[in-house]
Amino acid sequence: MVSSNTFHVVSTELTVGAFAMAGLFFLLAGLASRNILGLQSKITVIDTVAHATLFFGLIAMPFAIFSGIQSGPQGDINHPLLVNKMLLSTASLGLAIGVLASRHSIGERIWQQTYTRDLQAVGGMAASGLILLTASIGGTFSRGESLLDIFHLPYEIVPLMPLWMSCTVLVLAIANLRTALQKV
Amino acid sequence: MNRIALVLLLCACLLAPGIGSANPNGVGAGEFDAQCGGACHGDADMNRSSSAIITLTSPDTIYEGLLTSITVQIESVETTQSGILGVFLLSSLSGSQDTPADVGWDIVSNSEGNAFNYLETIVPSGTSTVEVTWTLKAPEVGEYTLYGAVHHGTVDGNDAPFYGASITPLSVTVLEVPEDLPRLSDSFDPPIQRDIGETTSIEVSTEFVTSMSIEWRTNSGEITSLNATKGEGNSWSFELPTSILPNMIEWRAILSGEGPEQTTPWFQLRSDEPSWEVDNTLVYMQSFAMLFALMAGFMALQKTLSVPIDKKDHSELMIPHGGEY
Repeated sequence: MVSSNTFHVVSTELTVGAFAMAGLFFLLAGLASRNILGLQSKITVIDTVAHATLFFGLIAMPFAIFSGIQSGPQGDINHPLLVNKMLLSTASLGLAIGVLASRHSIGERIWQQTYTRDLQAVGGMAASGLILLTASIGGTFSRGESLLDIFHLPYEIVPLMPLWMSCTVLVLAIANLRTALQKV
Repeated sequence: MNRIALVLLLCACLLAPGIGSANPNGVGAGEFDAQCGGACHGDADMNRSSSAIITLTSPDTIYEGLLTSITVQIESVETTQSGILGVFLLSSLSGSQDTPADVGWDIVSNSEGNAFNYLETIVPSGTSTVEVTWTLKAPEVGEYTLYGAVHHGTVDGNDAPFYGASITPLSVTVLEVPEDLPRLSDSFDPPIQRDIGETTSIEVSTEFVTSMSIEWRTNSGEITSLNATKGEGNSWSFELPTSILPNMIEWRAILSGEGPEQTTPWFQLRSDEPSWEVDNTLVYMQSFAMLFALMAGFMALQKTLSVPIDKKDHSELMIPHGGEY
């Protein structure tokens, strides 16, 4: 039986690898949609790769999150770094689903319209950035160092909302989601 | 031109990992097979031989299922600038399935205050000899071998990793427990961690014990004695002084009874700042809230900004002003 620690490493590497590639291709898609570097002719390929890798990362991510919780010191979230990892990874998960769902509902036209193309590229890159930040926190937690240490990010500070505020945000988000889906 | 730039970029990416050292701050304590304290240390081609001399010592008699201590002494220590030294306790040097637990030993604690076969210790500058100790519960009756191993870097920090192991293993004979031997009961699991400012009362369950005294010491090495109080049945209890700073205290019990007097190994008890706690419900609720807020917010924003197909420019189909088409 594979331990949760090993499974977490495998699923994390899949997630981070897929998201890193997706982030790069969302950047290229953003450039291609503006015909920078003469990439416009390849927009279809770039768009496909960006969304396919993001989708793959999205499949791997829940496994990484749950195995991460299991492989914590007491199989629980009991450290500021772990809480921030949880918050960042779920934020990335939500953003990535939003990016994919938007691409699915709007179609390739998303790269032809001024605001949607920029927002799609920024959304995809932000989802990737959040995952890379999560991975960096993981490195800090397990090895005491990570590549992003040069930025001195406040990993130990936990921005935790009260329960009523989280519930309010959740209700508003679900209402907003309903509205967004009704427009389709 | 673009291809040349791409090739140069890829070359730079490939060469980048060669800059700097692997895990200069160590990999942290853990349960590791030989050489597996850090990924690249597992590749024998990348290792160099450590000049450290490693020897192991143990008590003369070790009884089945009872606690004992194994000390690993490392001489001619060389480390990085940070002084970090990784030390393994192993049952063989095969590199696979060679932790003490693989042959039945149960690690209770070590001198760094955790319960793993691999620990990392900081060697003070100018120190050439280091001792680390493991407290273990002995396996079944039989003959066993134990090895010590180290890995470390060098002061300049950019050389190959160094690996060394004890030349001769420690041979251990585990004996059957005599019937009336005063001892700690099998179920006793000594605590290895406590919070600063916390009064530490330890209850010990024993067998064949008629009196018990306790000795404790801190880093200064001065030993203080106290008597344990007999509780119900075969249990004894005593209190260790409260810690006001993060440090390590070691204690052992001297057990008397009908059989020969026994002294337990030193048990390490580390005191740390109180552990950080959070209500997990808050974290999960905020995670769900953020997930849905970002997902719904992004989708709604894209929908709003997107121009529907039916609102596209169809000016050729529109009826011009004046009514004539």
